[in-house]
Amino acid sequence: MIKMEEEIDDKILSKMSIDELTRLFMDAINEQNLKLIEGIEHLVEENFKEFKKNLTYVIKTNTEVAIKKKFESKIFKSKLMFSKADRLKLFNKINDIKNIGEFLANKLLLYMVVFPDEEFKLQIQNILKSLRIISNYLSDAVKLIGSDLSKARDICEDIKEERRRMRKTEWRLLDKLYNYDMDYLSRTFLYLKELIENVMMLADHIKNFSEYIQFLATKYLIFE
Amino acid sequence: MAENSTLIIIIILIILAIGLAFSIGANDETLSTLVGTGILKFKIALIIGGAAIGGGMIAFSSGFVAKTVGSDILGEGITYTTFMLLTVLISSIIWLIIGSFAGIPLSSTHSLLGSVVGVLIVYAISQGGVNPENALNWDKLGNIILSWFLSPLFGLIITYLLFKIIAKTYLSKLKGLNQIEKSEKYFKWFLLGSVIFAEIWVGANSGEALGILYGLLNNGSLNLGQYFFFAIICGIFALLGIFIAGRYVIRNLASQMTDARPSEGLITQSSSSIILMIATLFGLPISHSHVIVFCIIGMNKAQKKEIDLKNLGKMAIYWVLTFPIAGIMAGFLYFGLNLIGLV
Repeated sequence: MIKMEEEIDDKILSKMSIDELTRLFMDAINEQNLKLIEGIEHLVEENFKEFKKNLTYVIKTNTEVAIKKKFESKIFKSKLMFSKADRLKLFNKINDIKNIGEFLANKLLLYMVVFPDEEFKLQIQNILKSLRIISNYLSDAVKLIGSDLSKARDICEDIKEERRRMRKTEWRLLDKLYNYDMDYLSRTFLYLKELIENVMMLADHIKNFSEYIQFLATKYLIFE
Repeated sequence: MAENSTLIIIIILIILAIGLAFSIGANDETLSTLVGTGILKFKIALIIGGAAIGGGMIAFSSGFVAKTVGSDILGEGITYTTFMLLTVLISSIIWLIIGSFAGIPLSSTHSLLGSVVGVLIVYAISQGGVNPENALNWDKLGNIILSWFLSPLFGLIITYLLFKIIAKTYLSKLKGLNQIEKSEKYFKWFLLGSVIFAEIWVGANSGEALGILYGLLNNGSLNLGQYFFFAIICGIFALLGIFIAGRYVIRNLASQMTDARPSEGLITQSSSSIILMIATLFGLPISHSHVIVFCIIGMNKAQKKEIDLKNLGKMAIYWVLTFPIAGIMAGFLYFGLNLIGLV
């Protein structure tokens, strides 16, 4: 995995194939995604300084832009590629993760809260743990598309399973949130509710993405 | 005066035959798979495809399908009169135009052969003094009609088997998209070869235009030199048909095939060209579109994809009806011309 902290040399990018650029882009986006998850974990631990640092990193980092530009120039020039449309769609779906992550980071930075109790914290941490798992799974699946679609499809099945578990936790958390005895400040309630829902929005995108990978496997693999 | 009118009709027939050759090129969609893959520039693909279809038409003009339509289908001692040929052409053109307006895909081969049979039967009954049983070479006609049923069926079977064999021995072993893309790049070059091969046989099997000219050769209206000259003109017009008019259909279909798998295109094109080649060598005029539709069905069947049976059933009805309807129409037209004393 190439370190994303610095700009990647244009010459290196030019030498890369479309598949290599996709994998590199996935690495870049996954790295930012993990930073986002880590940042939210800092919020749960009430470490606001690190929370801000991580989320600002997600918003400010744009190392992936150079990869995106190179990918686009390459794919539009490529003539002899029958899977061009799917490659392009795949790349855009990766880019959507960045967009959701950025949206989530901006929203979470608007305000900061102290979590109501240890149980609530634990449940949120469980969701974040699952999000980290599916984010890494997705990264693996995307990187396997070029070499082993069958394996990528199996990983996507794991993503869907993990996302199902997250959904159960989400309902438990929302239930807890709506039924607290203490009267919350409305913005704290709103913040926590949106935190849960937006984290799940990211999880849903990853799940939809994994279904797309499964569609690609069905489309391109020939079983006998 | 009579000689002058016969000469005019012969000229009209030659023009219509050339027009038919143009329409064969204009309606040919074989190139769309090739254009869709982007292996060749659009204009270059049109020129290569056009040259192949025209070349096929010229190369096989000395006999085969042209001879079947222009002479072998006739009963012993019978030759076409210029009016018979004119009626055949007018009737099949009218039927094809009706089909186009009604949005029904019709085979020009079936339509033309139906018209030939209709005209010959009415000719035998009304003026030929020939027993209708002897007006046609029924064995030849039987073989042609049999080939219309067998050619799509064999197209389906060959495509099915070819796909199964290639899938089992090669395609199913490809694991990732990189590997699949790489192998499909090679398939594209094979596809180029198979499309050119298919175009040659599409041209060679297109008996409509050359059959009319062969009829004129057979009744002495044209000599051999003139026949080959006009056959070459037909070949050139088939090329022009693709280049001038066919490009729109090809471009439209190709735009829907940008992510089509070249290996699948190769299998369907190879199967249909094998069928066309065999039919041509036996002098049997068959419908290319019927064969290709069944090749695609064979491919879908092999891949366990759904087949639209309802649409297929509709198409089958039109296919079966084309021959008798064209025959009845041509018969009536010829009878009408006879009544007013034109023939």
